[in-house]
Amino acid sequence: MSEQVVEKTAKKRGSRFITSIVLFALAGVMLIASISGYVLRGSASTRANLDRMRTSAVLHAATEGLVDSIAQTARSAKLKELRADKNFRKRGLDEVNSICDAAMEEARAEAEKLYNNPVVEDEAALESAIETMESVLATSGQLENREKAAYAEIYVQLVDNISNWRETAAEGMDDAAIIEALAKTAPAIKDAGNAHLQPGFVRLAKDMAAAQLAREEAEQQGQLISMMTGAIADWTEYSGLEGDALWEKLAAELPDLNGNERFKDALLETAAKHIAAAENGETLPEEAATDEGAETVGETLADYSYFIPTDELAKERQDNEAAFEALNVQLVRIIPDLGELTGNLQDSLRVSLEKVLWPGSLDFSTLYDTYMARGGDAALTGGASKTLKLASLAEALLLGSIALMLLGLVLFFWETLTRRFGVPRTIIALFFIYLCLLAELYNISVRMMLGNVLERMTMYGVLVLAMMPGIQCGIGLNMGMTIGCISGLLGIVLSLQFNMTGFAALLFACLSGAAFSLPLGWAYSKLLNRMKGNEMTISTYVGFSFVSLMCIGWMMLPFNNPKIIWLLSGRGLRVTHSLLGSFAHLLDKFLSFKVFGINVPTGGLLFLGVCCFIMWLFSRSRTGIAMTAAGSNPRFAEASGINVNHMRTVGTVLSTMIAAVGIVIYSQAFGYAQLYTAPRQLGFIAASAILIGGATVSKARVSHVLIGVFLFEGVLVFGQQIANSVVAGGGLSEVMRIMISNGIILYALTQSGGARRD
Amino acid sequence: MANEFVLEMNHITKVYGSNAVLKDVTLRIRPGEIHALLGENGAGKSTLMNVLFGMPVIHTTGGFEGEVIFDGQSVHIASPMDAMSKGIGMVHQEFMLIPGFSVTDNIKLNREITRPWPVSRVLGKNLEFLNRSAMASDARKALDAVGMSIEEYTLVSGLPIGHMQFIEIAREIDKSGMKLLVFDEPTAVLTESEAQQLLDVMKKIAAQGIAIIFITHRLDEVMDAADTITILRDGTLVTTLAKSDTTTEELAGLMIGRGSEGVIHVDKSARQLTGGTAMSIRDLWVNMPGEVDRGVDLDVQEGEILGIGGLAGQGKIGIPNGIMGLYEARGDVTFNGQKLPLGDAQAVLKAGLAMVSEDRRGVGLLLDQSIEDNIVFTAMQVRGDFLKPFLRQKDARAIRKHAEDMIRELDIRCTSPTQPVGTLSGGNQQKVCVARALTMKPKFLFVSEPTRGIDIGAKQLVLETLVKLNREQDMTIVMVSSELQELRSVCDRIAIVAEGRVVDILKAEDSDTAFGLAMSGKRAKEGEKA
Repeated sequence: MSEQVVEKTAKKRGSRFITSIVLFALAGVMLIASISGYVLRGSASTRANLDRMRTSAVLHAATEGLVDSIAQTARSAKLKELRADKNFRKRGLDEVNSICDAAMEEARAEAEKLYNNPVVEDEAALESAIETMESVLATSGQLENREKAAYAEIYVQLVDNISNWRETAAEGMDDAAIIEALAKTAPAIKDAGNAHLQPGFVRLAKDMAAAQLAREEAEQQGQLISMMTGAIADWTEYSGLEGDALWEKLAAELPDLNGNERFKDALLETAAKHIAAAENGETLPEEAATDEGAETVGETLADYSYFIPTDELAKERQDNEAAFEALNVQLVRIIPDLGELTGNLQDSLRVSLEKVLWPGSLDFSTLYDTYMARGGDAALTGGASKTLKLASLAEALLLGSIALMLLGLVLFFWETLTRRFGVPRTIIALFFIYLCLLAELYNISVRMMLGNVLERMTMYGVLVLAMMPGIQCGIGLNMGMTIGCISGLLGIVLSLQFNMTGFAALLFACLSGAAFSLPLGWAYSKLLNRMKGNEMTISTYVGFSFVSLMCIGWMMLPFNNPKIIWLLSGRGLRVTHSLLGSFAHLLDKFLSFKVFGINVPTGGLLFLGVCCFIMWLFSRSRTGIAMTAAGSNPRFAEASGINVNHMRTVGTVLSTMIAAVGIVIYSQAFGYAQLYTAPRQLGFIAASAILIGGATVSKARVSHVLIGVFLFEGVLVFGQQIANSVVAGGGLSEVMRIMISNGIILYALTQSGGARRD
Repeated sequence: MANEFVLEMNHITKVYGSNAVLKDVTLRIRPGEIHALLGENGAGKSTLMNVLFGMPVIHTTGGFEGEVIFDGQSVHIASPMDAMSKGIGMVHQEFMLIPGFSVTDNIKLNREITRPWPVSRVLGKNLEFLNRSAMASDARKALDAVGMSIEEYTLVSGLPIGHMQFIEIAREIDKSGMKLLVFDEPTAVLTESEAQQLLDVMKKIAAQGIAIIFITHRLDEVMDAADTITILRDGTLVTTLAKSDTTTEELAGLMIGRGSEGVIHVDKSARQLTGGTAMSIRDLWVNMPGEVDRGVDLDVQEGEILGIGGLAGQGKIGIPNGIMGLYEARGDVTFNGQKLPLGDAQAVLKAGLAMVSEDRRGVGLLLDQSIEDNIVFTAMQVRGDFLKPFLRQKDARAIRKHAEDMIRELDIRCTSPTQPVGTLSGGNQQKVCVARALTMKPKFLFVSEPTRGIDIGAKQLVLETLVKLNREQDMTIVMVSSELQELRSVCDRIAIVAEGRVVDILKAEDSDTAFGLAMSGKRAKEGEKA
């Protein structure tokens, strides 16, 4: 029987070996093809064809707007025609649309035929104009990029961190004072190189302050209306009153209205509505105040309307203008219709031309693809299309060759790799590398995404670490770590309640969160000690129940800082709390620096490192060793005189407390603290991350935490971007996250949990 | 009767892998006789019965050689169901009864008497009504046959254990066409009077012409009830005797036999024990599943190797496990004059006791951890060895050195001290267990089944190590083993445990008869021991 097994494994090994050889051979062929493609790009004939393709691309860009506008015009003309018809109303909306679209497509096809391959008489003149434009853009473009980057950095810093603009740019402050106030948040604003930007930022600050005022006023008005409609039960008493008389009676009833005469109109309007309803014997419901707690969460993008160029850039822009004019003259000579463009179309022509000629924006394969798509094959010299095709595929071929080679290597060393790292980790790591390759293929910046991954590592790292003592002490995947998370959130809202800021707030949130989690974790561990063998089920259930329980808790707890409670009812905590004024991004920004364009969140990484180091020390201590033994073989531990229940308690409490610190770190990296049902899924994310890292439900090490959180977040960040570029629409990444994380948990349970209990 | 024998099992040989567990065994049963099947654990009794019942374990491991003739015909028994339909029944050692059902329901389970009605005529037999009165009268008849006066409609769940045994038997008797019944240690859980009643019932059944195979290790019962006796030892047939031709003593001797020589030879001639008492055990009760002790009294002398032997399930393993705090225990155990707190493993370990567990993989080792971590674990936890003063971190260098010493000393075959113990062979795992116990620097060592499941070379080395420790370091050793030969070759004295008590304390050179009697719970007279 064992001989059969040996034979079978040998057979498997043999087929893997052959497959990997085939893959290597394919990779080699692709590599050679790719190299020849790169070589071809350098050849003279390709260069000549490249120029032709560029010219064609410029012409295409120039006519793109024109074609679009012709198509649109045709569509609206058709619509007008249909409207004039008396049968118009009988037609359905879909029918109207399809008729109009057909007309548009027809017009577009005709326009394309007209403009797509225009006769170029003076090729040399056009080409020289294009080249001038390109070289001017190369210098001015770089300058523009640089200045805009400096602007964007300050902009994002300001918008992300200033929560009270009315204080920063209070009425009556002069520009210099506003700059001083802004410099507190973004010191770079006062750098000599950025002086020209200052007026723009002053304008920004004033606009933001105005917007904030408007928002606050609207909010207050909403609250007053809500308060008024809530307080007055019987509107018939006010029947017949109007204007100032009504206002006076209302103000007598509701003293809060005094001093808020600026909302008089809106209030009276609502009152009139209710009075009218009351006279008809109806009762209108209480008006709800708008919820300002739901703030948009996401990355801030720079708004360039406050950007001011330097003199140098302004001069470059003039050169640019001249070059564009020259090019435009050439283009008009070829396509006279371009001369007729006005207004918006003229502007968009320029934008699309600049886009085409912007340095580095047209790589070989894109040029080739667009050229071929427009049927430009005939114009290429000497049947060069095949070599050009090869040249255009050089990058894709290179990446494909690397991918195949990697797959071959993994198959070749399959046994060594899976023995060393386990099947899931090998597959996920390979998947991650493939995602990097795909990102390169889709021109997505790998560097930026690596920065993103680092950021998310600091965000989730400590939470994932919380899984470790749970696994070690034998309770398996501690899904009940949400108990710790909620304790941590309690610590955060306490720090907000006391208006604490900076590192003091962070420290306070961590310590008080850990303190709350201590008794909770202890009680939770007592429960788990009574349910040996079913810990996973119990902990998941307890985690969910505790979240639900605290949904009531968050409403009932006696917090009273108006910043964090529902303004309307005056009690109960809001769902989302911005930590901007408190400790948002505090650790991540601490000592952070940029390397190769990757933003390194030094503080967060350091903190994670220190936590991991402490955990490592603990697992080498006498108690730590006893705990691990109690987890992996309780009977063995008992025989050595160890109190297994006590060790399980130690591990569970430790896990819960780390989770409390973890959620504080998570919230500071996220910038918001989310209460109520938000922490429910965190256990699953942490569990799948540590399992990807190589842990099992009965064994975990610090290295599993670090590798796991990197791979998990890496796959998510890259997967999200790539999924979005391959398939339009945003939902895919979330689906993928759920599939990956739950799939990994399932896999781990079947692998180690199932085999263990036999 | 046409045939002299109701069952003939001729020249049965059964091989598991390369290990022959039955070698040319022949068993012949006459109708209406009670045929006792005797033998130590591992003698081949269960395997022979598995062959008889056509258990899957036999068929999936390559079947057996020899022939089975039942009722005059050569038969192939494919499964226990098949055996039952041919008229072979089994009274199980563990009760196969459903507690929530009445006595009648249990007796008639799956053989219910049913009454058809219109719906069942259309939709099939499964929907027929139960004919309860017919079933009850059948059950009554069967119960009367086994001498049970209980009402047939009582629920099984409340009955005393003894009664359940009788219900089992009643169920077997109730089957029509029953020709042969196998009783597998039926008296093990019964009180003395119940056992007597059972023997009477057996005789009654036999008198009706049903043959009985009676498996037991209680020689008294054999002498009381059996007509013919077959003795197996190490898979071979020793002899088949008529009861009238033999005595209890002869049976005991035949059961044990002087088998092959012990795995090692130890010279015990020059032994002079100091005579002081290292440990005295009084009235020790241990609640270990399958190995219950009911009042063990035993003294262990300083510097001796004391063996504890006995059949499986009699309580010999419970003694070390109870004292070391692994199972619930009560009684008085004093060690060097100090009372040991039972149930507190840490305190017992601190007092200088250590144990090598019989459950190597379950209790003895952390399988996925390294050799060195396994070796130092208990010493680190109990004595605080191998720890650095700073943050009580483990002292990796000291651990490595100690582990390397141990590996050399005990000849543990491994690639390095960091190899996970789960990947070692059984013998080397056992050596790691011994190393872990020795790291505690114990004055007193319990070794439970030290040679179970390891190859002969490793066996030798483990036993030699124990003797060396005893001789050179003056360590008192209590060794529990199922292999009598092993105990006799190593130990100074051997205590035999049966039914949870120490029956006798014997010397290695005492006669087989003395050992055989002790293992079946009887003490040999002084003159017969030699």
